[in-house]
Amino acid sequence: MKTNDMNQPVVHAIFIVLAALCVIPFLLLFMSSISSESSIVNNGYSFWPKQFSLEAYTYLWSQKLAMFNSYGVTILITVIGTFVGLLISALLAYPLSRQDLPIRGFLSFLVFFTLLFNGGLVPTYLIYTEVFHMKNTLMALIVPGLLTNGFFILLIRTFFANSIPVQIIESAYIDGASEFKIFYRMVLPLSLPILATIGLMLTINYWNDWFNGLVYITEPQLFSIQNLLNRMLSNIQFLQQNNLGGQNMAVNLPMNGVRMAMAVVGILPLILIYPFFQKYFVKGLTIGAVK
Amino acid sequence: MQNKSKAVLLPAVLLSMSMLASACGGSNDTGGASAPASGGSSAPASSGASSGASSNGKELQLTLAFMGLGNMKEVGLVQDEISKITKAKINATVKLMPIDIGAWTQQVNLLLAGNEPLDLLVTSSFFNYSSQVAKGQLLPLDDLLAKFAPTVKDTMEPAIFNSTKINGKMYGVPSIRDTAADHGISARKDLMDKYNLSFDNVKTYADLDPIFKTIKDNEPGVYPLVQRSQTNGIANELVRGYTDYLGDTPGVLIIANQDLKVVDLYETQMYKDALQQARKWYQAGYIMPDAATTQEGNNSLIKAGKGFSYLSNMKPGFATQETTVNGREMVTASFVPPISTSDSGTGFMLSIPKNTQDADRAAQLLNLLYTDKDVANLLANGVEGKHYVDAGNGQIKAPEGGSNYVFNQWEVGNNALTKVWQGMDTDIWAQTKEFNKNSTFSKALGFSFDSSPVKTEVAAVTNVNNQYKAGLESGTIDPTKLDEFLKKLKAAGMDKIIAEKQKQLDAWAKANNV
Repeated sequence: MKTNDMNQPVVHAIFIVLAALCVIPFLLLFMSSISSESSIVNNGYSFWPKQFSLEAYTYLWSQKLAMFNSYGVTILITVIGTFVGLLISALLAYPLSRQDLPIRGFLSFLVFFTLLFNGGLVPTYLIYTEVFHMKNTLMALIVPGLLTNGFFILLIRTFFANSIPVQIIESAYIDGASEFKIFYRMVLPLSLPILATIGLMLTINYWNDWFNGLVYITEPQLFSIQNLLNRMLSNIQFLQQNNLGGQNMAVNLPMNGVRMAMAVVGILPLILIYPFFQKYFVKGLTIGAVK
Repeated sequence: MQNKSKAVLLPAVLLSMSMLASACGGSNDTGGASAPASGGSSAPASSGASSGASSNGKELQLTLAFMGLGNMKEVGLVQDEISKITKAKINATVKLMPIDIGAWTQQVNLLLAGNEPLDLLVTSSFFNYSSQVAKGQLLPLDDLLAKFAPTVKDTMEPAIFNSTKINGKMYGVPSIRDTAADHGISARKDLMDKYNLSFDNVKTYADLDPIFKTIKDNEPGVYPLVQRSQTNGIANELVRGYTDYLGDTPGVLIIANQDLKVVDLYETQMYKDALQQARKWYQAGYIMPDAATTQEGNNSLIKAGKGFSYLSNMKPGFATQETTVNGREMVTASFVPPISTSDSGTGFMLSIPKNTQDADRAAQLLNLLYTDKDVANLLANGVEGKHYVDAGNGQIKAPEGGSNYVFNQWEVGNNALTKVWQGMDTDIWAQTKEFNKNSTFSKALGFSFDSSPVKTEVAAVTNVNNQYKAGLESGTIDPTKLDEFLKKLKAAGMDKIIAEKQKQLDAWAKANNV
């Protein structure tokens, strides 16, 4: 290893600082979630609270039915959404990557078009609720995420076009493989990095999605965990900023610690799976993005 | 080769078509979406058609949407119990649809844009009541009420009942609640007793000084006066009892004047005095140094033992309510007699949206909410034995281990019919009725300001407000900064908003013969 010894410490220092900037907010979040409520009110959020307390988590545990339910919804839509989304994206991206596809430019344009324009909220809402009757169904949390990822499709297409030699496809064809066989026996296994990357992005999208829940879901048993968190926070924000003619409201606003604990619970699974995807992530992103 | 490209083409075309369908389908429907919104005439027509079949022949499920602020986990149980009653009386079951307040504006907009069944909706001047009416999203109620709910108007003050009219027609029925408000202070009873303090000799806000001083001197770590939120600054609380804000934008009426002249609150002597008072308290250390920026509300500060008292609007039974909310016993004193402001009626109403499946049946359900004791009580308090238990004396209390149904009963219906909670006076609703009746009514009762013509100015003024208001009103900034604040407000278009407000108010007064 012959590196420039002078630069090494500087580079390390910069990256240590950057890494710390990423980790510190999470640390604060976590420490706040194990602070006692009165120490948050009296001293604000701190990295080392005066009084530790697990009351926030105890409270969450007392709400375990709702929590597990939301968790279940989130996991379900994430798993189904990621799998189906990946399948659809790859199935669409593959033909688009083939030079011998007729009207390829036009079809690519259609995909590209969805990146720039969409139907707008109200028309989209009307279509989903009145044509497809998806209001208050799990489908409403899954389907919108499947159809609006033109960016992912272009990423996968570029990867297919650049990283899979046409010769491989042709040789498989000569050996008698059908188009589908070529796709799932040759192309997909060779494309693991990009599939893992897109898979992770889809996972994060579905895991973090609260907007579809906000728009299409009113039944509490279909709230995903992020939707639950978002509703809680926007309610709090609303009540802080508005004085509804001075009505005194009986609201169960969760304590500060509980909000933090919910956020911790919400991000934990993602943090846990991220390292397993990471090695593909960088590779897939760089290869897919550079044309 | 031919074969090969076809195989590739097929899935690609299918998928592209589905994307196209989703994209274009959306834009095609834009026309359809705006049509019912702009064409107000279509709504009355459909209600007219359905009123022919008022025999309640077919069983219906009526949907009631309201703000779900509390714990709504067992809303299903309540819904089933209410449905049992309504099924027998009007051959319809009820679906309760709580919507979170943070998502309210958006979800209600979408519900009203579409055609989902929605039969009764909580509406409010704080949530676009006038624009919902202008878009034809709510049905006029005059005829429906006369036919199906003739006694509803006797349940409340006539002035309040009539205040929801827009262009001579009613589009909402106010909920029966404390429509008036008096203003004063709530303080912790334990500390009041400890130092032998009492509000008996306190007649005005300024008389509070010695009490605050005692707390400040003897209770380190307890701030004598805390704010409810950043927007409810101390100075704001001091003037609120004397003014009608006419919505949330600047330009107010002074209640005592009993006129319709919109004035700039920030230029009044009253406001200047309030700022001085807040500043005095702040400098004396009675107010938290970070009052202008803290995210903590009064209830959590009192609960945590960091605060002693707060100023707010009040109503009969307020001390009991605050005791429950804060988890500490509270005593209250009122300094400003009750007033009813422009939004006292329109603050919370029940309306029938154009989405309704059967306007007649919806009106009958509305009638039940105002006249049927069991329906009103179920909605407000939940199911007996599950969400409340009998406390004797005709009163109720929370069950062991808490309830999974906490409804904000001020939103909907006739709350005077509901069971009274332990701790409240049994005649609390009679008191409330007197209280509402004897309040000073604003001349502008029922007026609601449509800020859309001056949207830009409102946004600019809001920005200036964000910069100064919390600081000035909490006493954090010296009142000499008021001039700077005023100058920036003028530059942001304050005068234009006030002129627009005056114009709308004059037009409203003319139309309503005020």
